[in-house]
Amino acid sequence: MPRSPGTRLKPAKYIPVATAAALLVGSSTLFFVFTCPWLTRAVSPAVPVYNGILFLFVLANFSMATFMDPGVFPRADEDEDKEDDFRAPLYKNVDVRGIQVRMKWCATCHFYRPPRCSHCSVCDNCVEDFDHHCPWVNNCIGRRNYRYFFLFLLSLSAHMVGVVAFGLVYVLNHAEGLGAAHTTITMAVMCVAGLFFIPVIGLTGFHVVLVTRGRTTNEQVTGKFRGGVNPFTRGCYGNVEHVLCSPLAPRYVVEPPRLPLAARLKPPFLRPELLERAAPLKVKLSDNGLKAGLGRSKSKGSLDRLDEKPLDLVPPLPPKAEASTFGSDLQTPRPSSAESALSARRTSPPTPAMYKFRPTFPTGPKAPFCGPGEQVTGTDSLTLGDDSIHSLDFASEPSLDLPDYPPGGLHAAYPPSPPLSAADTFSGALRSLSLKAASRRGGDHVALQPLRSEGGPPTPHRGLFAPHALPNRNGSLSYDSLLNPGSPGGHACPAHSSAGVSGYRSPYLHAGAVGDPPRPPPRSFSPVLGPRPREPSPVRYDNLSRTIMASIQERKDREERERLLRSQADSLFGDSGVYDAPSSYSLQQASVLSEGPRGPVVRFGSRDDLVAGPGFGGARNPALQASLSSLSSTVSRAPRTSSSSLQADLSNSSAPGARPASGSHRSPARQVPPSPPGTPCSPSYVGPKAVAFIHTDLPEPPPSLAVQREHPQLKTPPSKLNGQSPGLARLGPAAGPPGPSASPTRHTLVKKVSGVGGTTYEISV
Amino acid sequence: MATEVHNLQELRRSASLATKVFIQRDYSDGTICQFQTKFPPELDSRIERQLFEETVKTLNSFYAEAEKIGGSSYLEGCLACATAYFIFLCMETHYEKVLKKISRYIQEQNEKIFAPRGLLLTDPVERGMRVIEISIYEDRCSSGSSSSGSSSGSGSSSGGGGAGGR
Repeated sequence: MPRSPGTRLKPAKYIPVATAAALLVGSSTLFFVFTCPWLTRAVSPAVPVYNGILFLFVLANFSMATFMDPGVFPRADEDEDKEDDFRAPLYKNVDVRGIQVRMKWCATCHFYRPPRCSHCSVCDNCVEDFDHHCPWVNNCIGRRNYRYFFLFLLSLSAHMVGVVAFGLVYVLNHAEGLGAAHTTITMAVMCVAGLFFIPVIGLTGFHVVLVTRGRTTNEQVTGKFRGGVNPFTRGCYGNVEHVLCSPLAPRYVVEPPRLPLAARLKPPFLRPELLERAAPLKVKLSDNGLKAGLGRSKSKGSLDRLDEKPLDLVPPLPPKAEASTFGSDLQTPRPSSAESALSARRTSPPTPAMYKFRPTFPTGPKAPFCGPGEQVTGTDSLTLGDDSIHSLDFASEPSLDLPDYPPGGLHAAYPPSPPLSAADTFSGALRSLSLKAASRRGGDHVALQPLRSEGGPPTPHRGLFAPHALPNRNGSLSYDSLLNPGSPGGHACPAHSSAGVSGYRSPYLHAGAVGDPPRPPPRSFSPVLGPRPREPSPVRYDNLSRTIMASIQERKDREERERLLRSQADSLFGDSGVYDAPSSYSLQQASVLSEGPRGPVVRFGSRDDLVAGPGFGGARNPALQASLSSLSSTVSRAPRTSSSSLQADLSNSSAPGARPASGSHRSPARQVPPSPPGTPCSPSYVGPKAVAFIHTDLPEPPPSLAVQREHPQLKTPPSKLNGQSPGLARLGPAAGPPGPSASPTRHTLVKKVSGVGGTTYEISV
Repeated sequence: MATEVHNLQELRRSASLATKVFIQRDYSDGTICQFQTKFPPELDSRIERQLFEETVKTLNSFYAEAEKIGGSSYLEGCLACATAYFIFLCMETHYEKVLKKISRYIQEQNEKIFAPRGLLLTDPVERGMRVIEISIYEDRCSSGSSSSGSSSGSGSSSGGGGAGGR
């Protein structure tokens, strides 16, 4: 069994597997020794042969399920997660056969878990195609050993059926001497088999259903595809075939030392531009046919001015106001355009040069780049006229930079001369710019059409430039942060900072890109030995900008404090039941559970990570913990509002006893301005793990603050718990909570909550 | 003899590694192993798009072949069952064979195409088949045309060490 580094031998976890092995081997041996001889004589010699083969099969599959690596992912190397900070999103969405699947950041393993991968807390590993952790084999069941586990179940069921059946035959034929040793032992074996018959058959049937539906136990139990489509299914036959006949996947954790890779890395290195030796980029001037139709467009002033431009090759210098008007137009809609505008103003010589240049592309895109006389057809060109004009004019800028700027200057991605790669980057820039323009206007995809004739993948760009895309970071763009380490979520344009776009960012970005603080020196790394053991990364949050969250939180805090003032008298030292937590809790509970886990489209929930965070020590009620973790996994798929309230309610309801003690802090605490609004959890409420995790090292006053802050969550559903305050990040995964001011001892109410999968938990409120 | 042949591990310690690019998995077809063929911008000035895409596509086809459910995998499964899986002690599975092929291919690509351009591919198996890691090495001889601004920064900081290592 693969063991992650640092785990020690724990005898207790071997009990179930030892019991299972003992029962299996022991019972079967007894059966063979005491029952089979008579059966061989009386029935047929095939009986022990059949049972023997079956038993061997059971043993073999049991051993494989027990000892085989289920498909453990090795920890990711340090270089792989440069965005290892609290600004990185907790979830990343990926499209699987048209269905959005969420990949969660694994803090332990330092990567975004591939679809169907899950982290096993027992084994402390991420396992590919995680099914479940089976205590009877003391191993995770994952991609590599699921087949053996399934066959084990099937064969064990058959074996048990056989043992019971033949034992019955024996006993019925020896009914007169039931006290005989052989008969007694046979009956005992039958009892053992009969005892485990129902659970094993039940589990087998369950897995047969799972296999035919192409789901894992984890997916079934968490209800991922309940009411939704399973993107991983291959059809019934395909699923069965995949389980039974697919090739055995390789082990990832330990590879045998491979051939020593000898490769020469001797500069000077070849470069595409050196290899190409193509002619420098042509500067094609003026008319692209669009200007002729400009008079009809519902354009801004700048477009009218464009109209006036002479169509000759060397247009006279237009007034400087032109550029600024243009720039101001750009600046109004979005910051992204502002960036371009800024760079436009910064980098472009007076405007005529912009009209001068129309880059030629090898693939020759159609309109709007068509030559004079060719027309983008009528009005649709003009409806996109706004976009394309602007985008065109943006696009013409890079060319200007080329002759004017030294290679290492603004955008290192633009090598000075190379035509081919420059053309590529131009096309990339044009694409992205026109996309930006398009997105600015609300996603006018018509603008994309002309440019799609370029090679390369426009589709990913488009997706990235969706108007309301969160500034998520795609895994494929992890290198973005290498280019712009200081810049991830800071601007409206998504993190797809293709090199072509980097030249268009605002000046501060330029400075950032060029004059970067030197990257951390490359750490020594040996591919054979694997990455060094690493600590869990800080919690990631899935949310909007911190400032927005902070302001929302502050506002809520203020409202809450006012309300508290009003109701101060009764709630201060009174009964813990003053909380309307139970009622709202149950309401929220009902709402959350009724919604149920949706298809994996919703992308909220740093909560998962909060709840699952370390340092939760001293949870009062294990059931509460379990319920919380299961609920949080549900909750994370529920709308943010109800989930946040739920979480807060749970935290509130879990420790009513702390209230009186912290009540005394209430008045002074009220004057204290709310600290960086994070999740409103209190260390004194040791129930929810999230609570303790967040405020692990805060001193006494914060509990009262947190108490106040919890109320927003209680009363105001739209509050958000996905705090990404610096305060949270600062606190980090420290040790358990400080000694609570009053240990929560009161259990006024025990609620039975049904979690997912039909289990019931008891929660004291 | 004049040419220096470095062991890759030595290189990684002594050579000036500028940055690493990670080609992520493409999950659009489910959990089958394939990598995105999208051309990362960092490689823009280091390697031709065509070569890169060809390499990734070839790798994808290798993985598809490895994971193919066909006659050979079925037979292998039956044989394994029949021998109570002892066959795994003696024989290499189909997937492992293809992995060896992939490893040889990557090495060959590194030698022929990537290393001359200052790049190195890492076999995805070493990363759990989650990413293809491409290490970009700094080209100290052509000072101005480094692929990213910061690489010159790191180059200057590790230039002394790198030069010493050479």
